[in-house]
Amino acid sequence: MTGRRSLGVAAAAAMLALLAIAVVWPALLAPHAPDAVDPAAALAAPTSDHYFGTDELGRDVFSRVVHGARPSVAIGLGATAIAVVLGSLLGVLAAVGGRVVDEAVMRVADVFLAFPGLLLALLVVAILGPGTGNAMLAIGCSLTPGFVRLARGQALVVRDSDYVRAAITLGAPRPVIYLRHVLPNALPPLLVLAMVNVGTAIIAGSSLSFLGLGPKPPTPEWGAMLSEGRDFLEIAWAMAVFPGLALTVAVVSVNVVGRTLQRRFEGRLPHVGR
Amino acid sequence: MGLGRPLPSLALPAASLIAAAATACAPGGAAAGTADGHLVYATGLEPDCLDPQVSGLEVTALIDRSIFDSLVGMTPDGRFHPWLAERWTVSEDGRTYTFHLRSGVRFHDGTPLDAAAVKATLDHAVDPETKSRYAASLVRSYASAEVVAPRVVKVRLREPDASFLQALSTAHLGIQPTARLRGNAEALCGTPVGSGPFRFAGWTRGKQVVLTRNPGYSWGPGYAGHRGPAHLERLSIGFVPEGSVRLGALTAGQADMVDGVPTTNAASVRSSGRTRLLRADMPGAVFGIFLNGTRGVLADERVRTALMRAVDIDRLVESVYSGEYSRAWSPLSPATTGYSRATEGSWPYDPALSDRLLDQAGWTGRDSAGYRTKNGERLALRWPYMSKLMQDRRHVLAQGVQAHAKRVGIAVDLVNEDGGAMARDVLQGTMDLYSTSLARAEPDILRYYFARDRTPPKGGGNFFRLSDSRLDRLLRDAAATTDPAVRARHYAEVQDRLLRKALVVPLYVPVRLVGASTEVRGVRFDSHAYPLFYEARKGGGK
Amino acid sequence: MNATVRWLVRRLLLTVLVTAGAATVAFAGMRLTPGDPVRTLLGSPPTPELLRQVRHELGYDRPLLEQYGLFMGRLLRGDLGHSYQLQQPVARVIGDQLWATLELAAAGFLLAVTVATVLAVATAGRRPALRRLAVALELLAISTPSFWTGVLLLTFFAFRWQVFPVISGSGPQGLVLPAVALALSLVGVFAQVLREGLERALEEPFALTSRARGSGETAVRIRHALRHALIPMITLSGWCVGALLSGAVVIETIFSRQGLGRVMATAIAGRDLPVVTGVVVVSALAFSVINLAVDGLYRVVDPRLRGAAL
Repeated sequence: MTGRRSLGVAAAAAMLALLAIAVVWPALLAPHAPDAVDPAAALAAPTSDHYFGTDELGRDVFSRVVHGARPSVAIGLGATAIAVVLGSLLGVLAAVGGRVVDEAVMRVADVFLAFPGLLLALLVVAILGPGTGNAMLAIGCSLTPGFVRLARGQALVVRDSDYVRAAITLGAPRPVIYLRHVLPNALPPLLVLAMVNVGTAIIAGSSLSFLGLGPKPPTPEWGAMLSEGRDFLEIAWAMAVFPGLALTVAVVSVNVVGRTLQRRFEGRLPHVGR
Repeated sequence: MGLGRPLPSLALPAASLIAAAATACAPGGAAAGTADGHLVYATGLEPDCLDPQVSGLEVTALIDRSIFDSLVGMTPDGRFHPWLAERWTVSEDGRTYTFHLRSGVRFHDGTPLDAAAVKATLDHAVDPETKSRYAASLVRSYASAEVVAPRVVKVRLREPDASFLQALSTAHLGIQPTARLRGNAEALCGTPVGSGPFRFAGWTRGKQVVLTRNPGYSWGPGYAGHRGPAHLERLSIGFVPEGSVRLGALTAGQADMVDGVPTTNAASVRSSGRTRLLRADMPGAVFGIFLNGTRGVLADERVRTALMRAVDIDRLVESVYSGEYSRAWSPLSPATTGYSRATEGSWPYDPALSDRLLDQAGWTGRDSAGYRTKNGERLALRWPYMSKLMQDRRHVLAQGVQAHAKRVGIAVDLVNEDGGAMARDVLQGTMDLYSTSLARAEPDILRYYFARDRTPPKGGGNFFRLSDSRLDRLLRDAAATTDPAVRARHYAEVQDRLLRKALVVPLYVPVRLVGASTEVRGVRFDSHAYPLFYEARKGGGK
Repeated sequence: MNATVRWLVRRLLLTVLVTAGAATVAFAGMRLTPGDPVRTLLGSPPTPELLRQVRHELGYDRPLLEQYGLFMGRLLRGDLGHSYQLQQPVARVIGDQLWATLELAAAGFLLAVTVATVLAVATAGRRPALRRLAVALELLAISTPSFWTGVLLLTFFAFRWQVFPVISGSGPQGLVLPAVALALSLVGVFAQVLREGLERALEEPFALTSRARGSGETAVRIRHALRHALIPMITLSGWCVGALLSGAVVIETIFSRQGLGRVMATAIAGRDLPVVTGVVVVSALAFSVINLAVDGLYRVVDPRLRGAAL
């Protein structure tokens, strides 16, 4: 069982390495500039020069898919990071701040939990306007409540542990205890949840883009490319098929690696953060 | 649904001559009146309100055209025909119009048409309480109306207005019964009552509006092939925002007609044995980019010209619209009276010229991204847009323009804004570039965009507070005369002047592409390129 | 019984609080945004007089706090306000659209649960090859965005092969493709949770006993183990409501279906504040009520919880 599984994991890890190159140094993989138009060569089928064909402005779809990795991954990672930071701070605050703070933080989290994820993100984008950074923030906000809950639970466990009690008895100042002991010890499960959430965040980001609320043109983004390409499915199928494929492959790889790490770190955690 | 009539763009109404490209509408007294069932028409947007004087949306005009009749009818060749008015006279000074109404016309609620209804409708259009998004601006010259006799109404204008009859011919000035206009606004919006060939039967939000035939109808417009009731028994207008889904509905037989056929699919609609492609060029202002000549870097005419010549419009329009649309040379559509052929070919693609002009203008530096700089400042132009108004792949075309501008070192910053931010930009004229089109079958549309007194705060489209006394005089004089030769000369000079000063870069001529099942016959387009259902038939029958 | 009453009261209060909180967030968000909603509403550049008049009619010339007070007051009376853009009461807009979305959500949910159950019963702790395949497919389903599956389904099943109607809403056939697209985004998660629950339940003594009594393996699973495996599913209910509504936004858009999701997306784009807050209030209420019902169910299923206050 492990043999076959590790083969899959290795493949996923390789895909992630490729993805990382596309994010950091896209020119290494992409033969053309993503915004170089050539109307004469519009809507061409895949060839040895344009592996994935060209779009209606004659831009190289392969290069755009490669360059599209950056905004997609940035939104996924950025949103998750925002959720982890906000969530752990608020969660720990709720756990150690006394009954009133706890009640306040958790009820606010309940309020935000009651927004279906994408609707909250849509609302935030409506307020801040479209764009990569704002999409990141919007999805980060919609993921935060799940992290608040987990962080609070973890912090409660740590707070009641013997060594924290000991530290308190020894007279260490509370803020120091929280920063030194509670937060670091509550963090690992949060990071594991984060890993499982990156894929969700990437999908949410490209959904916003698909609805026209992502990075501004000519920045290529998978969701936006797919949205544009779907009118061409009859004529230039490659335009919509490859961005979708890239997105799915990237998310599958993230999920496979994320789950493997999750399994390695510990037994079972909530499957689905929001 | 969405923003009422957002900003002065959204292609819209008004008259001129366009191809009645559609079917060879069964002509010649084919008043047999055999009903051929139920026609389903799918379109993208949903109306906000069906009161023709309130809403400015194109789809409202499309639906209201079947529910409401106008005083006069206009054909794409620019001629006016009797409709609710069987004849009319214009005073010497061009400021008083007297309409003699047809007798025997009844609204759907049974009340007869009279002069009071015409007066009430015009007053309703300009009443601030109505919050008219479009009709009021069409008849901005309207001063008052007077009921001379039960079926004679005298309309007075503030100034001579050669475009007044055209305005009256639009669905936006469809006549409503007096009693209804005194009632509440919600009823006017939600359950319209007119005198047209179809009655309003129901509106399921998010889905469709259903109309049924008005069996007592016998006052069809003068240009139609018959006067009696419509042939169709039922007409459903379904709202299907996705272009590909609309097209799929046509091929799958779920819709008989769909508009906004994506240009990429035009060929397949044309070649399929079961569908046909109907097309009509829209009159009015073409889709183009307006350049802010009154502030910022574009105040320099050389920079404006450089941008204008840097874009290979032929190539871009050809590839983005699969050869279905033609590139525009003038801000006026060729389907509009007053279009100047002299503009064609007068400003060809010439990137070398652009480079020279930019060098002359002092933009000689280059930054790391390859854009030109002057005194360390990048040559950047802000082009805000609303994605809702960039339908018809306009955002792709804009990206093409952006890429071509980059080749000569101009950075074009395309910014997707929401309605609020966009409205602020438009009201204050704070952008460098703005793109829009506006269908109206009247060259007077140019006054809306370029006359000094038509700035956005005054309800006009002169986004950048352009103040050119020569243009103002030409436009004013052209509107005050009905002499075709004088009008043509004036409008030709206006077009030439706008292009020579590079105040606008026309891109393409908007076209209405309608896919129709071969079962459907008798649909024609009116002067605003809206399909007309009055003479339509479906299925068997002759 | 006393504990149950206290639990119920507390939960009902919480429901009210969450709903009011959600409404406040939506109100604040939309009102603090830079764009002027009245200008957005009027579209083409309005005259200053018109602007003033509409602003007055909508109460925008009053202090923000007063506006908020009026807004919450109306909300308490069940008045969701009047849509700027659709020119009709928000309650009617939502009432008109609710059914279409419920239909889609219910169909998608049932489909996902059915498929997930079949997958879990067939592969939990047995048939290793099949199990691996199922796990891989579930991962694929979780990782594929629903707008992508939606576009593919539409292209092949509706446009090309014309197996299903292109425009949904006309009878149950039109519901198939949107429901499948929605179900695909849920089925992976459901199947995993169910399989894990089943595998745990099958190790319990009662499973061994009934096997020993000679019941067939599948019968044991369906009759005994499945009931236990369903309990962890209940904890998913909150996530599930969110996923269904989020999915509805995307899927209603792609399939040009009427429904709350599409109304919400257009209302946000058009700053139609009353509609946005209306949908938010309704979905927060739905979320809270479903959670309440599910927790109540939990107490019925698992009697040990009855003594606890929450």
